[in-house]
Amino acid sequence: MERWHYHALQEAIDSSTLLVQGNRACALGALDAGVRFFAGYPITPSSEIMETMAYELPRVGGVFLQMEDEIASICACIGAALTGTLAMTATSGPGFSLMQEAIGYATMVEAPLVIVNVMRVGPSTGRPTAPSQGDVMQARWGTHGDHPAVVLAASNVADMYRLTMAAVRFAQRFRTPAILLADEVVGHMRESFSTELIGRYRLTSGDFDFTPSYVHPEMVREVHPPHVLGSKTHPHVTGLMHDETGFPTDDPAKSDQFLRQLHDKIGNHRDELCLYDVKNEGKGRVCIVAYGSCARSARAALRLAEQEGLPVEVLHLYTLFPLPVEIIQEVARRVEFMLVPELNLGQYAREIRKMAENWTTVISMGKVDGTLLTPREIVDRVAELIGKYESV
Amino acid sequence: MKTPTETTTRLRRQTRARPKAHPHDHLLRTDRMPHIWCPGCGIGTVFGCLLTAIEKSGLPLDDIAIVSGIGCTGRMAGYLNLDSFHTTHGRAIPFATGLKLARPQGTVLVASGDGDLFAIGGNHFIHAARRNIDLTVICVNNLNYGMTGGQVAPSTPFGARTTTTPVGNIEEPFNFCSLAAECGATYVARWTSLHARWLTDSLVEAMTKKGFSYVEVLAPCPTTFGRRNRLGSGADLARFFHERSVIRNGIDPREAVLDFEKHLVVGKFVDSTRPTFLDNYELVRRREVGEWPFREEHTPHTSGRAHN
Repeated sequence: MERWHYHALQEAIDSSTLLVQGNRACALGALDAGVRFFAGYPITPSSEIMETMAYELPRVGGVFLQMEDEIASICACIGAALTGTLAMTATSGPGFSLMQEAIGYATMVEAPLVIVNVMRVGPSTGRPTAPSQGDVMQARWGTHGDHPAVVLAASNVADMYRLTMAAVRFAQRFRTPAILLADEVVGHMRESFSTELIGRYRLTSGDFDFTPSYVHPEMVREVHPPHVLGSKTHPHVTGLMHDETGFPTDDPAKSDQFLRQLHDKIGNHRDELCLYDVKNEGKGRVCIVAYGSCARSARAALRLAEQEGLPVEVLHLYTLFPLPVEIIQEVARRVEFMLVPELNLGQYAREIRKMAENWTTVISMGKVDGTLLTPREIVDRVAELIGKYESV
Repeated sequence: MKTPTETTTRLRRQTRARPKAHPHDHLLRTDRMPHIWCPGCGIGTVFGCLLTAIEKSGLPLDDIAIVSGIGCTGRMAGYLNLDSFHTTHGRAIPFATGLKLARPQGTVLVASGDGDLFAIGGNHFIHAARRNIDLTVICVNNLNYGMTGGQVAPSTPFGARTTTTPVGNIEEPFNFCSLAAECGATYVARWTSLHARWLTDSLVEAMTKKGFSYVEVLAPCPTTFGRRNRLGSGADLARFFHERSVIRNGIDPREAVLDFEKHLVVGKFVDSTRPTFLDNYELVRRREVGEWPFREEHTPHTSGRAHN
């Protein structure tokens, strides 16, 4: 379709914009993945995503709209998504909290859309310009009721581009909202950015199908038939518990079946959804499990550790939810410690502990002072762990 | 002489023998009937008028979508055989905004109650009217929150009893029509549920009009509002509204007050024209908005209150 004729990234590079900000890369990724509707509300540190969209979307036939609040923003996106348009919104913690009810609605009506949360230090207004990873569990469990979640975490500018594309792909393929988390520093950081770099990382092959009622052939039996408004079929869309016809039901068997199917369509495809990267595979006694900006520190810590002769491997997670159970357990079986550095008080470490504690000791390394975890801090902790082990 | 029971049975048999299709059956999801509305409720009348208006408007049925929020009126969407969209509480308008902007060729109706549109959803209403999104908003004003058992709403008159104002409401209600007009709505009308012909005509006008249209209907809620205020049955309430109503077409919406002791002003208050959001968005697409504040072809923001 003509939507593919526009390559925002190529244009950015041609105009010699070689230093790209994370938030801008996110917007370029969305445009290249075919996002043509954006509604948002200003909030630090995510506003640049909206500003880029405000400039670029009208040029490519899309619609940009700044709404009156975050609730309205996500609701407008769901409205657009149900006409078959790819929609995205971006926000930070306080706005993400406001969006929670509608995220549940989008899950319930199986509306594909992407929500970007550039995390600040919370709770409440917190520190708008300091990085944090405090919204990890909110991204998983923020909306009420039992629901599945697709949550990705970006660690650098290239990630912001390619993981936005991946989020669009997942949202569309599984007809569910997909959440992309970035730390403030990832959103605001400027890095050199080239097509080669992206090419090397490219997760999405560009084989998207943008027809409104598209469901991936393999998914037909699991995903409920999409109800596309304006398709002459007169569908009904409701947040009430409904069956495959779209109409509300109180039938216990149908409710049970519907909710389980919602979960299964995500849970049964962890192999496709769980993106990760293992460095120094099989050579470590300690595995640093990290995501977001901490993964970058972890990768640097790996180089430091190698120089210092410490046996370390790094598991860099791009997908936080659905839980990458297989790889966590595989690594847990071969290492003595799993060290989880994160910019919160151990939110994801708890998840890893649940999966890995039968085989290894999971150590949480949390930091909430609004600064980054440095590679040195991580290596020191690794040395401490190994030293402790040697002395036992 | 036959007993009432016998008569009823006979009537039922007759009905069964000669089933008649309702003239609006093709617009209804008949398999979803019976509806959930109480006996005496005014929503049924409004719904009936809406069905007639949809037919009269001549708009292609495949291109009409109805969006509703939560509440008694919110259930309208589920009974209409159109693209229907039952959303979260208070958010019908932003959902409809997304729908309309992503698919501009469609006609988007929003049908919801006073609590949904003006309490939890008040912010969305005023901004959609300001932006002049091409929507038709139908507000069934039943003076309270019916679905949740009769709590006070932004429309509840001063002094009226509800479950959360057990000794009487101490807050003044909104004048929704005035609010809509001030925010820039290009069509504003109010009727009671007994003004069926006027209401239908207003709905046709609102639907076919380009711009943000607002039609309010004062409707009886005998079950949760009427009962607590000793106003009698649904029919009594509807009559009460109708008898006190005075039609004042073209009046300043600020003067179109609902004074239940004296008179309830109904009529068509605003019917004006100004560019919609999508009209102006074309200027953005063509990069032709111009330099503020010295636009060459300056089109002043016309107030919604330019009468007729």
